[in-house]
Amino acid sequence: MSKPKPGAAQTLSRRSALLLIILILLGFGAAICRIAFLQIVKGEELSQKAVEQQLHDTEISAKRGTIYDRNGKPLAQSASVWRVVMAPAYFEEDEQREYVAENLAKILDLNYEDVLEETKQNSYYVNVKRKIESEEREQILKLQDKIEEEYGIKNVIDLLDDYKRYYPYNELASSVIGFTGADDQGLEGVEYQYNKYLSGTKGRLVSARNSRGADMPFEYEQNIEAEDGNNIVLTIDETVQAICEKYMAQNIQDFNVYNRGCAIMMDVNTGEIIAMATVGGFDLNEPYTIADKETKKEIDAITDEKKKNKAISEALTKQWRNKAISDTYYPGSVFKIITSSMGLEEGVISTDDTFFCSGGMTVGDREIHCHDTNGHGTQTFEQAIINSCNPAFMQIGAKIGAEKFWEYYQAFGFSELTGIDLPGESDDIFFSQDGSMLVTDLAVASFGQNFSITPIQMITAVASVANGGNLVQPHVVKQIQDSKGNVIKNFDTKVKRKVISGDVSETLNGILERNSKQGGVKAGYVAGYRVAGKTGTSEKKVDLNDDGEEDYIASFLGYAPADNPKYAMLMFFDTPVGGAYYGSIVSAPVFSSIMEEVLPYLEVETEYTDEELENIDSVAGIYSGLTPSEAEQQVQSDNLVAVIKGTGEKVIAQVPEAGASVPNGGTVVLYTDESSAKETVEVPNLIGYSLSEVNNVAAAYGLNVSVKGASTTSDALSTQQSLPEGTKVSEGTVVTVTFAAQTGIAD
Amino acid sequence: MSTQTLKRMSSERQRTSKSYNRKRGTVNSKTPPKGRKKHLSLFSVGMGIDLPFLIIILLLLVIGLIMMFSASYPVAYYNNGDSLYFLKRQLMFAAIGITLMLGISYIDYHILHHLAYIFLGISYFALVLVLILPPVQNVHRWVGVGGYGIQASEFSKFAIVLFLARWGSLYYEKMNTIKYGVMPALTVFVSTALLLVLEPHYSGIVIVLLLTVMMLFLSGIKTRWLVMAFIAAGVAFLIAWATGILSYAMTRMEGWGQALEYTNEKMWQTTWQTRNSLYAIGSGGFFGLGLGNSRQKYLYLPEPQNDFIFAIVCEELGLMGAIVILAIFAFLVYRGIFISLRAPDRFGRLLGIGLTSQIGIQVILNIFVITDWLPNTGISLPFFSYGGSSLIVLLAQMGVVLSISRHSNIEKA
Repeated sequence: MSKPKPGAAQTLSRRSALLLIILILLGFGAAICRIAFLQIVKGEELSQKAVEQQLHDTEISAKRGTIYDRNGKPLAQSASVWRVVMAPAYFEEDEQREYVAENLAKILDLNYEDVLEETKQNSYYVNVKRKIESEEREQILKLQDKIEEEYGIKNVIDLLDDYKRYYPYNELASSVIGFTGADDQGLEGVEYQYNKYLSGTKGRLVSARNSRGADMPFEYEQNIEAEDGNNIVLTIDETVQAICEKYMAQNIQDFNVYNRGCAIMMDVNTGEIIAMATVGGFDLNEPYTIADKETKKEIDAITDEKKKNKAISEALTKQWRNKAISDTYYPGSVFKIITSSMGLEEGVISTDDTFFCSGGMTVGDREIHCHDTNGHGTQTFEQAIINSCNPAFMQIGAKIGAEKFWEYYQAFGFSELTGIDLPGESDDIFFSQDGSMLVTDLAVASFGQNFSITPIQMITAVASVANGGNLVQPHVVKQIQDSKGNVIKNFDTKVKRKVISGDVSETLNGILERNSKQGGVKAGYVAGYRVAGKTGTSEKKVDLNDDGEEDYIASFLGYAPADNPKYAMLMFFDTPVGGAYYGSIVSAPVFSSIMEEVLPYLEVETEYTDEELENIDSVAGIYSGLTPSEAEQQVQSDNLVAVIKGTGEKVIAQVPEAGASVPNGGTVVLYTDESSAKETVEVPNLIGYSLSEVNNVAAAYGLNVSVKGASTTSDALSTQQSLPEGTKVSEGTVVTVTFAAQTGIAD
Repeated sequence: MSTQTLKRMSSERQRTSKSYNRKRGTVNSKTPPKGRKKHLSLFSVGMGIDLPFLIIILLLLVIGLIMMFSASYPVAYYNNGDSLYFLKRQLMFAAIGITLMLGISYIDYHILHHLAYIFLGISYFALVLVLILPPVQNVHRWVGVGGYGIQASEFSKFAIVLFLARWGSLYYEKMNTIKYGVMPALTVFVSTALLLVLEPHYSGIVIVLLLTVMMLFLSGIKTRWLVMAFIAAGVAFLIAWATGILSYAMTRMEGWGQALEYTNEKMWQTTWQTRNSLYAIGSGGFFGLGLGNSRQKYLYLPEPQNDFIFAIVCEELGLMGAIVILAIFAFLVYRGIFISLRAPDRFGRLLGIGLTSQIGIQVILNIFVITDWLPNTGISLPFFSYGGSSLIVLLAQMGVVLSISRHSNIEKA
């Protein structure tokens, strides 16, 4: 280090220059290269990610469309609720976190520890709870104010729009309507099938939002508004559906039906489903609650967690199952309508043909019995149907032949799905894929045994017989509307093909009407209406309920009016274990009860026979305020009989009240003073009697009887009374008594 | 102004003056005319300040203020309820800084030669003081004065450059001895670094290390010492790592270079700022989204007004804007070194070059951080990043360089 002096300044200059070069070339140069690399080479990728992030939280929920019944009653609708979100990044101290977590947990009924954990995230967007109601919302708004007051922090908690699905009719048509999941997506039924239309299009705020999800002060691009979902109008009529479900539920209880029941009501000309009930259903507002109380009790008793979960999942699958389209069954004697159509259409039989039944028949090497082992003897074709004679139909089947049978089987749509617009439709199970049958197969198939079809296939095929031969496609949706109610799409009648001629259709309509009206059991008879129908009792060849007895399905298929069919209904009860299991006893009366209410509602014109006219009900007038003699005259002119109680000068009360329907010739009790008005009688037992016996007993008590069901059948007995035995009522009160045939056809 | 100081430095000054004046062919004498010396005017040939350098500083300051406002107003709006919150404060700091800068430019920088130890003393005092004071955001970096935080290490950087400039000018003949060359620098660096470890403030240590090395390099120390210094620094780093002292720094190192890949939630949160910086830069393209149109500043990029402001600059002004701004910075460094090399004495040269280079070093490190080439450690961008102490100290330092330019033998505009 001896002589650095002259070089010192030079060294500094040189080294300064070097430093400058290092800084500018290596430093700034590298920095620019790096920035250029990020902006030019990776620019697209990075900006894409930035945009994704900026649009990440900007989805706008679309309001799911409403599902209406055919008259515009809402069956499923979405209501505004809210979603609570939190931006925990704003918290400054643990005290604030604890305060907010504690209050949120309290208001929203959440676990405090979980919420506290969420408040510790360094995020601007945490979902706290979805679908809160306005009551909780009020409290959250108050909490927002309190947080701001107390700690001076804004925007920590926010409320966003959300929607919740409501089903105003709870259980009604549960298997048809279906329900939605947590993200508002349809999971079952129409909700699933038409999810695309119902869900709408989620909106996007294409203008960037800041990382807290709030709008930026100005926008760069356009917004795409959320498009609310379309509304769906069903072909289902809520009133009819409710009537069906009411009677079916009662019937399932009365006959101790083990595996639920279903009913389908269809417009035979258009294929519109007016009602489709699977009973017992479930509350659509709580699809994950097991609706069947006994099943619930059984499951609650299971201690093994794994088995319990399995049982729960099985029970839920079962309760959601739409029996009308997902269950397959041996159609039984109802199928005889189809076999008859085949025979008549092919001309292998005529209505003049006679058939002999000895109580059984040997086919191949098998002896096949009739349900009446004594035999029906010689019968006309019409008698064979009314008797539901199996040997007669085996003979008809043999005349048709396996090849034609299979052809018609396909033509009637049994080998294909009906194409109903609901999820979960099952396939049929025929003897073989190519339609080939053994002789014995053909024999039993002629009366509807040993092959499986779905109820919807059965009613669709019979609809074609009823409507003049057109196989229509059944459907539950009538119309799709946009959210403002403008029609987007109508679902018109879709005729798949013509299966039989109008003549054959007319012939069978007549025979089946007589079967209902004049046949031995009068199954499906509805006073004042021309009903055609056929019972069916099908063997299931299993014993699901483990009672040691073979399971049966009791069914009935009827339609009205027989001269110009419009509405067909199939009743179907799976495994009645209360003793009776015949279609004629279990299903037909329920059909009658439903039709008695539904046909007037649907404004189907009545056509009374003279006999029926005599039994038609009268309507009680207003008799109060009249003198006893005036009132008596008035009552007589109303085709009723007056009984005057008390000694007053004017009528002060009457039973039945004004406007009530009373059977022709029934009693009207007129009260003229206070003391007499308090007299009551106890309703006696009216069950288990014939019609005349019921009338006698009732008369003795001073009660009126309104008759329902197949009362005129020779062996009909009363099965139900509208007021239970022992009820204290005023004299003259109308008790509705239902009758049913006791020895149905075991077809 | 101290005449003794001038006298002491006269020999060297005369020599350099002569050599440069001869080249330029301007008329000058050994001592400047009396009138000029008395009247120190703002811009004038001779004793005025260097106008280009001043213009560059003001240009960068104006651009910096505009960009700081653009980057900060969403955050200011959402967090402080006043879009102008940061701008107002920064304008005040800038006003103080400019006043200080111009004031200092009138003071003969030679006075700093005497004040070097005092400044070093103040630096140590401040560094110890912050350790005693309660921490802000978990670190001991700031001294609070009436609601404003003063970052102690900003002052330390200046004190160290000043000390080393003094030492390098006094003992340039003995720079390669341990006693005069290595030991003083090492002592100052190690003691400062230890105090910074306690804060902790690792990026401060890195800058102090680079400044120390740079000053020694300029002072003419043999490169082997510098190699040894880097080896020593490496060993110290390894020891610190092994003993876990660096736990804070290590957490900042986590996720370095993998900001764009999702590994787990914690890492995703750790790399949030760097990732959003990259998104912002990448969104800019060639020409940017336009001034004020950054989207990433809408709370995606945390604290966009601080260390990561240049990411927003890249997003709004694009590659073109970034290149122009970096070119202005480069010109500032060049002009600062150019002025300083023409200072009348070794002290002025070393001090001027040291102070301007410090800006260059910080700019480079800052951009390396925001582009994920270095771990995210808190190095601010001079003239751009929000912050009172750094801006005021920075402008004061520029005042020193301007003061040097008054004495520099260059033609001034």
